Amino acid sequence: MKNIFKILKFEYLSCVKNKAFIITTIFLVALMLLSTALPTIIIGLMDNDEEGSNGEAPVIGLSCEVYEKELAGSELSAVYPGYEIRTVDEDKETLKSKVNDGEYSFAVLIDSELSFTYITMNNSLYGTDYETISEAVKSMYTVKELDKYGISQQDADKLMNVRITYETVTTGTDQTKNYLPVYLLMCVLFLSITSYGQFVAQSVVSEKNTRAMELLITCAKPRDLIFGKVIGSGLAGLTQLAIILLTALGSFGTLSKDIIPSEIFDYIQISSSTVILALIFFILGYFIYAFLLGALASFASKSEDLNNLTSPVVLVLTVIYVAVAIMCTGDMSGSTFMTVLSYIPFSAPMAMFVRATLSDVAVWEIAISIAVQAISVYLLGMLASAIYKIGVLMYGNPPKFVDIIKMLAKSSK
Amino acid sequence: MVIEIKNLTKSFGEKEVLKDIGFSAQSGKAIGLLGRNGAGKTTTIRIIMGVFYQDGGEVLVDGKPIDREKIKIGYLPEERGLYPKKKIGEQLVYFGVLRGLSKPHAQEATARWLQRMGMSEYIDKKLETLSKGNQQKIQLAATLLCDPQLIILDEPFSGLDPVNAMLLKDVIKEMIAEGSAVIFSSHQMNYIEEFCDDIAILNGGRIALSGEINEIKRSYPRNNIEISSLQSKEIAPFIIRSLSDCIESADIDEKSSAVRVRLKDPKLKDRLLSAVMEQGFDIDCFRVCEPTLNDIFVEYAEGGI
Repeated sequence: MKNIFKILKFEYLSCVKNKAFIITTIFLVALMLLSTALPTIIIGLMDNDEEGSNGEAPVIGLSCEVYEKELAGSELSAVYPGYEIRTVDEDKETLKSKVNDGEYSFAVLIDSELSFTYITMNNSLYGTDYETISEAVKSMYTVKELDKYGISQQDADKLMNVRITYETVTTGTDQTKNYLPVYLLMCVLFLSITSYGQFVAQSVVSEKNTRAMELLITCAKPRDLIFGKVIGSGLAGLTQLAIILLTALGSFGTLSKDIIPSEIFDYIQISSSTVILALIFFILGYFIYAFLLGALASFASKSEDLNNLTSPVVLVLTVIYVAVAIMCTGDMSGSTFMTVLSYIPFSAPMAMFVRATLSDVAVWEIAISIAVQAISVYLLGMLASAIYKIGVLMYGNPPKFVDIIKMLAKSSK
Repeated sequence: MVIEIKNLTKSFGEKEVLKDIGFSAQSGKAIGLLGRNGAGKTTTIRIIMGVFYQDGGEVLVDGKPIDREKIKIGYLPEERGLYPKKKIGEQLVYFGVLRGLSKPHAQEATARWLQRMGMSEYIDKKLETLSKGNQQKIQLAATLLCDPQLIILDEPFSGLDPVNAMLLKDVIKEMIAEGSAVIFSSHQMNYIEEFCDDIAILNGGRIALSGEINEIKRSYPRNNIEISSLQSKEIAPFIIRSLSDCIESADIDEKSSAVRVRLKDPKLKDRLLSAVMEQGFDIDCFRVCEPTLNDIFVEYAEGGI
């Protein structure tokens, strides 16, 4: 037992000092920094585009004869805050040339009460200026019409701009706020369990391939070896995840906070309980799959054999991920299918995580699922030790599944 | 300390690999474990190391079942294996700690053994950067790091050049002199004869022969005589002609140019010597040829697997 700590320390340090591990961590941290800083960068670039070199507000040229210039200007500036609306008496050609010269960001020529010409240099595929200008023109028309009924422009503006406020009271789980972070965390869960599990498998094969196992197996019990390896690699994985997530949170807080509209934060609220659940299910899921993959890898003599042995497990994990993801996006996190999945040890880490965070689940249900997984981890750990003991000294072609069962049955006698 | 292997049996599936194996090793002595490939040597060693459990029999230390937590064992596996991509010092300390040394003790032992092997300068190098012979020396350092009471060496000399082989021989002799018990498995009989007082020959999972090498050799009939002389070409025909009633054969060994005579009875040795002397031949050496370990091995290890 005391060897487990020595082995896990060695494995942990081997992992975190591993070049590939360091490079991956740096790459992911850089990616996180870039992606969280991206809104700032894009907005910065857009500002530069729009503000021009002298830093002044971008200009919209507005030519209008059918409405009062004051009304047209105020309605347009209401929908284009941050722009300077320059009300001019210019014909289409002049406006076009000024847009072309860059004097105006774009120009609007109101032809009649209910039609306008939108003049722009580049018509973006995703542009929404038509709708925005239409709304402004509609307002101009409404105000003008209401004026005929004796309602002043100010009163009309007030009437049209009444704001309805609302409040949602959620007694269970608010999916609108949880969905995005839960979905992202589930992706992280799947990717991290798969990659760290594979890392354990790779490490077992390399010890066997280099015959370091010949010596290791005489220094420590197989149980200590596989537990030490799985726990050590798992801790290294957690370290990497922690570095990446802390970078994400830190950079998100500093780089993007002022840029991203506060409404978006409403959709990415991560409660501490969600994070704790993600952590618990990562640990359980990792152990379940790492033990399985590590044990199977012990039968591989060469790295080439590894894929054949571990791909069924990775396939099962992927199918579960896809199934849970479909349930998650299809708003079926509370379905019976998900309930069943959340108690099967192999699917429970992802399924129960999604259920617990997106639908109403009693605490005892989560507790049972965690208990089922914890017991499975222990049993799989013992099974993995038994398989590992047989596998690590076996060279040549990997045995068939039936043969493994037979060997296990014999060794347990 | 006496390590006794008693009545070991072991099967893998239907195949019975060890059948009632027994021998013993003791402090300050080395025993040679001989056998052809597949005879059961590695399985026996793995049972001693606790990697496999025996189906029957026991491994005793001073009459009590072996406690591998208490007795320090150094093992050099036939399939050499360390971490190629890790620093030598780092991995030696790791193996020392796994064998029960404290970290400072393991660090001290690593430095000491690397110095003994003349490899101190490589402590921070990766193993894969070393030549095969040097890697072998690191492997031996890993074996001896815990100052083992029992040393198990499986083909320790394979891949070593004569200079490194000499170094290894010296180290093993030192360890024996300091009181370690050595179990030495090899096919290189000259090394076995050099180190070991006792041998156990395994054949088909059984002990085909075991005991003290000298006694085994003496137990063979002493009727093979070798006569070294510059006149070998005359001596051989003389013996065939005049002593035909005493000998089974007489011929000249082409390599050493000595005359090899097989007597019908060891007691006829004196008669052979006097006949040759009386004839006035100039003789350099007249001796009884004992069988070599190689001869004994071939005799006992043939067939059976």
